[in-house]
Amino acid sequence: MDLVVQAVVIGLTENAPLVLAAIGFYLLYRLTGLINVAYAETVTLGAYFGMWANTTFGLDFYAVLLPAGVLAGLVSVATYLLVFRPAKRRNVGMLELIIISFGLSIFLRHALQFVFGYPVRFFDVPPPDTIMVLGVGVASFRLLALASVAILALLLYWFIQRSSFGLKIRALASDESLAQASGIRPLAVAVLIWFIAGLAGGLAGAFFGVGSSVAPLLGWRLFLPILLIVLVGRAWGLGGVITVGVATGVALAGATLQFGQGLYAQLLLILILLAILKIRARRLAAAGGVAA
Amino acid sequence: MNLDWLDAFLVFGLFEVVMVIGLALLLHLQLGLARIANFGVVGFWGLGMYAFGVSYVRVDWPFGEPWQFLVCALIATGVAALAGLLVGWYVADLDTDGVLVGTLGFATAVAILATTQQELTGGALGMGGLGFPYDIGTVKANEFLWLVITTLLVAAILFFVWRVHRSPYGRLLIAVGANEPLARSLGKSTFRAKIGLFVVTSAAMGLLGAMFGVMVRFLDVLNLGVDITLAAIVGLVLGGTARVWGAVIGVVLTVGLFDIVVQVYLPLPREWHTQAIPVLREALFGLALIVVLLFRPLGVLGKMRRDRLMKKVHGR
Repeated sequence: MDLVVQAVVIGLTENAPLVLAAIGFYLLYRLTGLINVAYAETVTLGAYFGMWANTTFGLDFYAVLLPAGVLAGLVSVATYLLVFRPAKRRNVGMLELIIISFGLSIFLRHALQFVFGYPVRFFDVPPPDTIMVLGVGVASFRLLALASVAILALLLYWFIQRSSFGLKIRALASDESLAQASGIRPLAVAVLIWFIAGLAGGLAGAFFGVGSSVAPLLGWRLFLPILLIVLVGRAWGLGGVITVGVATGVALAGATLQFGQGLYAQLLLILILLAILKIRARRLAAAGGVAA
Repeated sequence: MNLDWLDAFLVFGLFEVVMVIGLALLLHLQLGLARIANFGVVGFWGLGMYAFGVSYVRVDWPFGEPWQFLVCALIATGVAALAGLLVGWYVADLDTDGVLVGTLGFATAVAILATTQQELTGGALGMGGLGFPYDIGTVKANEFLWLVITTLLVAAILFFVWRVHRSPYGRLLIAVGANEPLARSLGKSTFRAKIGLFVVTSAAMGLLGAMFGVMVRFLDVLNLGVDITLAAIVGLVLGGTARVWGAVIGVVLTVGLFDIVVQVYLPLPREWHTQAIPVLREALFGLALIVVLLFRPLGVLGKMRRDRLMKKVHGR
């Protein structure tokens, strides 16, 4: 029982940003059908922008969240306007688009080192207080991170599922020409969704960065779990992605506690999620479809 | 053998170029013909490297060189082929998203196992104790001979890939890449073709990993990053995914330019070589992928020779 409680508390508080990042990735995936590998760098850049605002202007962690998210969102929009939109206009195939996003990911990951420097960087924040939650000690900023992520996730959920703009986004994702005929401006909606996705990724990066360190591989190390969460959860929509994300975070914490080794937990989780995808694909194939 | 004229960095740079050409040629069969984007090249290569290293260093073989090398290389090739069978089965009936997640997941699993199985692999500390299966005098001479042997191996891979292009199996792979449901409706077993492709190409990638292990004589988990996969993909894409020689030309233009021309011949400050040049190399490789796929998606060499012939015959 102790293990379960610990796994839930640690999983929710430490891995909450993973859910936020998965929501952002899902929005892009839902709109474009593209696995944007460069999304990993949106997460990384969020951490770098946050660290830069924190160490340069002396802002505290919560004050840097806004610039970190907005700047990451702007980079996300820039990648859409400079790379993915021209590629779409040139009728580049989906496989090539994925390779382009892989190239963009590599480019951003290394180019940022010329801007921010090669060494691993850290946020300059005072040591957090420890708060006991169900008998488990949790750093204060992790609790606030959890609360922030929960609020942001609910806001995004409401925005996508309930607002008129969210309706436009979903319409565009379903049928672009029909959406255009209904008066929806694809460019404005696409720019907005790339910005929101970047914002979510950037905030997730800042939350991860303040909890450990800020390094070029930060986003890349999270990319596979994010991708798996989205591919497994997408069948049930945004709610499914959030649910799978939360379950993944808790399972990751539980497995880490059980094995005493985070990498084994990651390996186990990757294998489980890959198995779910394979089983689902075989069922779909048996029913006459093809899927990931 | 007097090799004073030969720069040690040049030998290693040439070895890297030759090895990446081999990987890009194998990737050409997957990506160029069957349109399967294997983002886990480093996983098969790394598995071969570690399977070789572990069997070479940890097992007390009752025979010496060159048999020890040959047996361990066979083990590395076999282990990589088995992994290819497993991953091939996993991705064979999935779409592009599934292939991406399957191959990336496999590469991540290999990196995690190499890091965590410290007793076998040395973990983050690395593993030494590997050596050449011969000794012809100096280290430079041994390395040079190893470069020659690896070049012969890659030439054999080039010949194999060239033969596949002209075989019924190659035409089946092209059909899988162009329209898999159609190929299947014509009675072709695309599932088996894909699995066979993965087994053979993964085995060869594993063997190249073993060759690399001998060359560096020290296995390091840092080698299991994305660099090897990137080098193979960018070389292939730049040269042309559809052409056999695309892999060769593309890798020479990318890895050759950086690992030989820049690293060996350009008079740059020494401190640049440790951080600035490797980072710049990767950034430019990434940029090259974007630019080539946006403006010249078929790479330097363009369309497949068969497509040109068909155009001439049918006039379209």
